[in-house]
Amino acid sequence: MFNLIQNEWLKIFKKSGTYVMVGLLLLIITIAGAFMKYQDTRASVPDNESWKKGLEMQNQSYQKELEESGDMMPAAVKVSYEESIAINEYRIENNLSPNQDYSGLSFVSDMSSLIDFVGLFVIIIAGGIVASEFNWGTIKLLLIRPIKREKILASKYITVLLFGGSLLGLLFLYSGLLGLILFGTADQPVPHLNYQDGMVTEQNLFLYLMKGYGLSSINMLMLATMAFMISAAFRSNSLAIGLSIFLMFAGGQITQLVAMKYEWAKFSLFANTNLLQYFEGTPMLPGMTLGFSIIMLIIYFILFQAIAFFVFKKRDVTA
Amino acid sequence: METLVQIENVSKVIKGRTIIDSLSFKVNEGEVFGFLGPNGAGKTTTIRMMVGLIGITSGDIKILGSSIKTDFEKAVGHVGAIVENPEMYKFMSGYQNLLHYARMSQGITKEKIAETVGFVGLTDRIHDKVKTYSLGMRQRLGLAQCLLHDPKILILDEPTNGLDPAGIREIRDHVRKLAREKGMAVIVSSHLLSEMEMMCDRIGIIQNGKLIDVQSITDFVQADGSTYEIEVDSPEKAEAALKSLYQEVPFQINGNKMIVTLMKDDVPDLVKAFVHEDIRIFSIQETLKTLEDRFLEVTTRKGENLNV
Repeated sequence: MFNLIQNEWLKIFKKSGTYVMVGLLLLIITIAGAFMKYQDTRASVPDNESWKKGLEMQNQSYQKELEESGDMMPAAVKVSYEESIAINEYRIENNLSPNQDYSGLSFVSDMSSLIDFVGLFVIIIAGGIVASEFNWGTIKLLLIRPIKREKILASKYITVLLFGGSLLGLLFLYSGLLGLILFGTADQPVPHLNYQDGMVTEQNLFLYLMKGYGLSSINMLMLATMAFMISAAFRSNSLAIGLSIFLMFAGGQITQLVAMKYEWAKFSLFANTNLLQYFEGTPMLPGMTLGFSIIMLIIYFILFQAIAFFVFKKRDVTA
Repeated sequence: METLVQIENVSKVIKGRTIIDSLSFKVNEGEVFGFLGPNGAGKTTTIRMMVGLIGITSGDIKILGSSIKTDFEKAVGHVGAIVENPEMYKFMSGYQNLLHYARMSQGITKEKIAETVGFVGLTDRIHDKVKTYSLGMRQRLGLAQCLLHDPKILILDEPTNGLDPAGIREIRDHVRKLAREKGMAVIVSSHLLSEMEMMCDRIGIIQNGKLIDVQSITDFVQADGSTYEIEVDSPEKAEAALKSLYQEVPFQINGNKMIVTLMKDDVPDLVKAFVHEDIRIFSIQETLKTLEDRFLEVTTRKGENLNV
């Protein structure tokens, strides 16, 4: 098994496209870092005396807007206003200035939005790892080895997971390293303020980051598994990559649209991939719980794997 | 001679259409078996079934006694194959490709890889990327790939497709050498008859998914005697002499040459008769009926029988 994974890994890294992906990721982090450093030095004269006043004024304007628009306002916008108000109030009460020094950890936190970007690359790899063998015709030589087809497919899937994990690790380490070099460590640890069910709580920023990475990778895992399934079942990498990327960006919105009218939207994959909704903010549909989402995700995962393995095992290779 | 491959009543039905219809044959140790048939006859499908790329609807294929259906890993471990074109990972070097396949079998050493590369004559270019290889070199790399694990059976599907004469000759030499020296059973498919004639010991002819004949290549070609071309000074006298000896023998006069179909044992008698008649003989040449003639004969004849 180790040999098979090594083979798949080498095949990924013998292609120049992979280096472009990794290079692009590092480049974006670097540019973002440089940009923020530049911004930081110019605007780092925080109005330390009157930040409380500023927040109060901000809250007043939010409040006014909330009252004026009343029911006209979409629920999502209303929630975000309420969240801002609650957090601002919490800051004023607990004397937590928003003008904290930008630390390395804050940079890592900002860069964690690139996890979606990593997801894109993982989908590209997952979508190509089986279908490409068919396109190249190499599948014939691959499947006439004394190794069961299931094992070959499993080695490919594990390689996709390893690749995704490595990219996430790279994102975390590189943004951490760059953040440390450019912004240093904060004098006092800055907590992350979390708003949920009308309550504001403080969280350790590092733990918050870990949670964010963990939960985002579940989203990535599901999309990569879907791309892998399409790749193995339909032998088309363009279909696998195209469909998965489309759903990655539009799946959430589409589900949200459907959810406005129909309740069954909660059974769709994309209503459940964002587990962060149970830790921050509110779930997409009432009646959804963390347990429900986890069970749905497990069902989808098993379904994808079953289709991939069944079709791949039975397929007549005529490529 | 040991039977290495046994095809037992194999059929393949795809969407209600019978592609392969109860095929049975055996391939022995040390022999080159040619699998001959027009395009679309089912050669490639049969070969793909033998290596487990395509499922078998009914019947079974046994390789050294292990069924490809139920004991895939063991059965296919004895087989090295090129199915159609030897497609390799073009972005890797030839050596990396071989390493890749070596990792998928048990106990292939670096020395073994080097030895195989030497055998197919790729030592100079093995570290270049495959995309820079010519078709002939890719074919050689394909051969190296299937020899890595010392298989007992070598299956080559259309191995000379698209190769130039030098490349064809090279593959042919390799195939004969592997069968003679290593005692491998080699199964070669082709629609090129001339090539089969030079490479194979036995051939099986397949048409419309049915095996219509299996024969040794010499029997196949010489089934009805051979044709001899005799150059003489006087064809008229020769004709008279021949008629006095054999009444019913078909012959043809072409300039100074008499073309006659005889059994081998009759040739000395004819020569004696000619000498007796004072006919001067300049040369006698046996012109083997080509495989192509025979092939067309067999396929059309059997095809007609099948249609009746």
